Order: sequence, then C-alpha cells, then structure tokens
Amino acid sequence: MNLKLAIFKPMLKLAMERTGHGAALGFELTRVGYGEVEMSFAYKEEVVGNPITGVVHGGVIVSLLDTCCGSAAITTLKRPAITPTMDLRLDYMHPAEPNQPIHVSAKVYRNTSNVMFCRGSAWQDDPENPIAHCVATFMKVESPSLSFGNVVRRRFNRFIHGNKAFEKEADK
Amino acid sequence: MSLDLEQLTLSLSQARQQSSPQQILDLIPYSSFIGAQAKVLKADSENVLYWLERRASNIGNPSLPAIHGGVIGGFLELSASIEVLYTLDVNVVPKVVDFSLDYLRPGRYKTIYANCTVLRQGKKLVNVTATAWQDNPETPIATARCHFLIS
Repeated sequence: MNLKLAIFKPMLKLAMERTGHGAALGFELTRVGYGEVEMSFAYKEEVVGNPITGVVHGGVIVSLLDTCCGSAAITTLKRPAITPTMDLRLDYMHPAEPNQPIHVSAKVYRNTSNVMFCRGSAWQDDPENPIAHCVATFMKVESPSLSFGNVVRRRFNRFIHGNKAFEKEADK
Repeated sequence: MSLDLEQLTLSLSQARQQSSPQQILDLIPYSSFIGAQAKVLKADSENVLYWLERRASNIGNPSLPAIHGGVIGGFLELSASIEVLYTLDVNVVPKVVDFSLDYLRPGRYKTIYANCTVLRQGKKLVNVTATAWQDNPETPIATARCHFLIS
C-alpha cells in the first residue's frame, strides 16, 4: 500500500461510515485500494423490505453499491473533486438471505479525464454467486465548495449547530 | 414484524378500499427507515404522490449538503413497488429483477417528490418508471426504470 492511500483510507472511512446515511445504515469499509473498495453490512431489521420473508429492501443494496462504487471512484482522483453518480444499473440475481451480513465490492475499470466507469457486486457466502451486480458511471467535478476555507467553515458550523447546520446550508 | 400472506392480502385490499397507499408503506420497515410517505392526489384517482422529507440520516455528501444517491434510488424503488401493490391487483411483494437509475441533478437537502407509471403489466413481469423532483416537476432530479416479478 502506498503512502497516499494509507492517509486516504481513514479519511474515506470517516466520511463514508460516520456521516449521514452511511452512519444510519451502519456498514464498514473493509478494504480500500487504488480504484477498488470492499465493504460489509450487518443485517438490520429496520431496513427489511419484505415483511413476510424478512429480506432487506433493494434500496439498501442500491445505497451500498452506490457508496462502494463512489468510494472506489474517489480513490482514483488526483486532485480534490466531487464525484456525483451519473447513472447506476442494478441486476438482482437472487434475494439476500435474512440475518446474514452482505459484502460489497467495487472496481473502477476505466478512468477517463471526465468520467469513471465502475462495476460492483454484492454477495453473502460466495463471491461467485452474487445477490446483485451493478455498473455505475461517475463524473469528476472540481467544485469551489471543496476549497479549504469552505470545508473549514462548514466543519465549524456543524460543530456549533449540529444537524441544524445542514438546514441552514440548504435554506441559503 | 413478520407477517403472513393472508394478513398481507387483507391489509392490501383494505388500503386500496380506503385509498390509502400510506397503509402499504407502513407494512415495510425500510420506508420508515428513510421516511417515505404517500398519498392519493384526488379521491378515487389512482394517481399517487410519494415524498421523502429531509432528515439528517439521509445525507450522502455533507459538504454540499446533498441527499445520498442510494437513498434517492431506494426511495424510487420503494415507490415503484408500492405503485405495483396499490394500483394493480397484485397480492405478493413484488421482486425486483433489475433497476436502472439516472441522476439528473443533485438532490438538495429538501423534500423529494416522486410519481410512478406502470408502463406494462404482463403475467409475470411489470415495468414501472419513476421520476423524482424537488422544486418543480419540470426539473426532475432523477429518473428510474424497474422490472418486477409478480408471480
């Protein structure tokens, strides 16, 4: 592992696992490499989509794969940028088994100056027998909101106001 | 939490009779996890509006702040499945076969609205499209297309 990734991994873990929806879902980034990320998610009753069988909702798989592919895309960046998803296509092979963790992995298979192409899959026991497979494309956008001053200002606001800071930011 | 097929069929027909898609949403734990809600726009019409009020646990990128792309996807997938259960005479939980999502604009930290259209209903498969917007239905933030297995 190179030095850049060694510094980058805890930052990415913090950003993905501890904020917003990532914190609510509660997954863990288990491996971060250049253009490759793996995550695992422990079963939760709150996110069940089928009340008869107890299978998790497809939306959870969408969130996991979107986060995993997005994280893989971020690891390939040379300069700070945001990487919004352009599109995401998911094929569900078979339903997830309730009460078992879900593992997700994603890989950037083509990286161009403006667009990153990713593929990802989710599985439980056997990576060769995935529950879902996805392809996703991401844009590279260098945004003024990522400037050092703006990031510090937002961190400060969130420290002072907590979650209310998001509302203030959105209402501006 | 666990429900049997008979109870589900009963709750579904009750929800359709009372024109209350919200009752179907309440059966699914994931909908309260993200905070999805639904109502019919006019009495007797089958036009359902779905919405997702803003909440901190749905944020994906705190630096904008923007709603998590996965939440938008999950919300559209959920809306599409409720549309199938509410407007069609289907009494099993529809299984998603594939799901394709295009993000058109960032989802700001505001309420997201969505509506769905069933494009085709076959014996086994249903094709549904869903569109999400925030300020104006003319400027959608995402569109999705979904196949469900209903047999």
